[in-house]
Amino acid sequence: MAPLDTSMPRSRSPSIATIFERYGLVVFLAVLMAVAALASPTFLRPANLVNVLTIAAPLGMVVIGQTFVILVRGLDLSVASLMATVAVLATAFKATTNDVIPLIFVAAILFSAVVGFLNGWLVARRNVSPFLATLAMMIILQGIRFAYTGGAPISTLPPGMGFLASGRILGVPVNLMTLAVLAIAFGIVLHRSRLGREIFMVGTNPRAAFLNGVAPDRVIILCYVICSVCAGIGGLFLLGYVGTVSNWVGQGYELDSIVAAVMGGVALTGGRGNIFAALLGVAVLMVINNLVLLLGFPIEMQLIIKGIIIIGAAAFYRTRLV
Amino acid sequence: MSAIAMDIRRNRLMISYLIVAALLVVLAVAGGLLSDRFLTWRNVGNLFQQLIVLGMVSLGQTFVVLMGGIDLAIGSLVSALTVFLANFLEWRPDLVWLALPLALVAATAVGALNGLLTVVLRVHSLIVTLGMSSVIFGATLMYRKEPGGSVPRAFADVAYAKVAGIPVSAIILVAIFALAGLWLQRTRSGRSIYFVGGDREAARLNGLPVDRIVVLAYALSGLCAGIAAIFLTARTGVGDPRIGVALTLQSVTPVVVGGTILAGGRGGVLGTFLGVLLVTMLNSLLNFVNVSSYFQWVIQGLIIIVAVGIHTSRRR
Repeated sequence: MAPLDTSMPRSRSPSIATIFERYGLVVFLAVLMAVAALASPTFLRPANLVNVLTIAAPLGMVVIGQTFVILVRGLDLSVASLMATVAVLATAFKATTNDVIPLIFVAAILFSAVVGFLNGWLVARRNVSPFLATLAMMIILQGIRFAYTGGAPISTLPPGMGFLASGRILGVPVNLMTLAVLAIAFGIVLHRSRLGREIFMVGTNPRAAFLNGVAPDRVIILCYVICSVCAGIGGLFLLGYVGTVSNWVGQGYELDSIVAAVMGGVALTGGRGNIFAALLGVAVLMVINNLVLLLGFPIEMQLIIKGIIIIGAAAFYRTRLV
Repeated sequence: MSAIAMDIRRNRLMISYLIVAALLVVLAVAGGLLSDRFLTWRNVGNLFQQLIVLGMVSLGQTFVVLMGGIDLAIGSLVSALTVFLANFLEWRPDLVWLALPLALVAATAVGALNGLLTVVLRVHSLIVTLGMSSVIFGATLMYRKEPGGSVPRAFADVAYAKVAGIPVSAIILVAIFALAGLWLQRTRSGRSIYFVGGDREAARLNGLPVDRIVVLAYALSGLCAGIAAIFLTARTGVGDPRIGVALTLQSVTPVVVGGTILAGGRGGVLGTFLGVLLVTMLNSLLNFVNVSSYFQWVIQGLIIIVAVGIHTSRRR
């Protein structure tokens, strides 16, 4: 029980409902894992769990970015297309040695930042709805990518890229460590820094933020840049996992990242959300996907469950507003 | 709303239409100059034959967007219906008279369900229809992963039928658009779609049955997807669980190009019709001058941005 603090209206003892809202997702995850463990002895095996987390890492990176954009009342549908385009960009170096990897990362991050800037500029400065701006970007990136590859998959990659995706240091997957570092870094930015406060202000009420001396346009553009950069990094890690580069690397990640964020309680109306809760959403999504496989259901069932979950989760969190 | 404000709005919409119409003329002239076959009867006929699928899904999207929502389930719905139709007709080719109404009823029901979910759960239409799309797509893939089924010859002929050299499908499309336009402009229920899209709370305070109108808009979108699926199945002759994947987003482009504002309440079906013509003609022209389909994607994306840019900057 927290000490009584009359200055904070929030410190009234929380009702059961609010506890359920705040920790509902944790409970849900625990229940899911219990069901999974009962349904299949394979689930709790370290090999399976590590496998699940390894697959989850790139999505986690995308979700971090998506959270930033949703917080400022946006939405980024171009993340998956960007992931694939960055993957193709990585092969463009035709590199066979590992010393090119830093260069690949720099190029990928720069390219992603430009894409994010364009998205943000369209949304903030040109008043294009986030849906249309990122949709257009998604199609444009797709066109550029296919025009470059001619639609054929490529596999010229430095061997080290595979290590980034599925390698381990002291038994811990490298991509999971990277995700943790990114999550903590961006978590500090969002929840502990001045910029983070400005993002919440802009998401809650852009006009009020403006009157308080915050430039909403700049904050919004920055959020889109962060989102694209996260997606670009996620694309590089996913690429290494997949091994060869098809033109559809990351397909479905736009929906999955939004599902995870919404499940994690990031409000689509902006101004409310938490990076770590969103990542918890990723975990739930991954356990569900894994459960479908372990139970021997057809893989398409994942799509059905995902669809129901996103509607259900949005409805669940909406009741909080009332 | 004062008469003057109404007038200005209508004029702005007229300007949008004029811009798109002017672009159409430019494209036609450019096409004629670039290739002698572009403006032939044969190519124009082909072009009109292709209109109905994109035209119908865009019309459905227009209803929903005017009402203030968006329907991202259209593509999955069309795919699912082509799979249903082709497999049903392969099983019983003689039951075409039953299969088509069934498909239309199912499509309308799915649309209405989208509307009901947004109304009852009060969740954003983007989330509801995205979720619904995922559910339909998954269910369709569970039933059939590869394209399959077949349609009787007589049904396939519908897609290519012509009266006095004009494709029947184009005539049907124009008739449906005309009906839709009349309904939106001239009837109380049609106009209420605009009211709900313009300001839902005000519409509610004015005593409009807002929830029912929302469900109606989505149901109409479903019905339109059903009609599109019938013609698509007739033309391709198979049911393909992925055929509609791109249609969802393609259905948005003509709506936006035609000057309908995504926020709802402003725009109309004439703009969408012009938008469908423009997109179809542009793609055909790009094919004629051998621009790869990959660059056509780039151009489609640019069109969306430019169209929105033009319409929003004039609004300021």
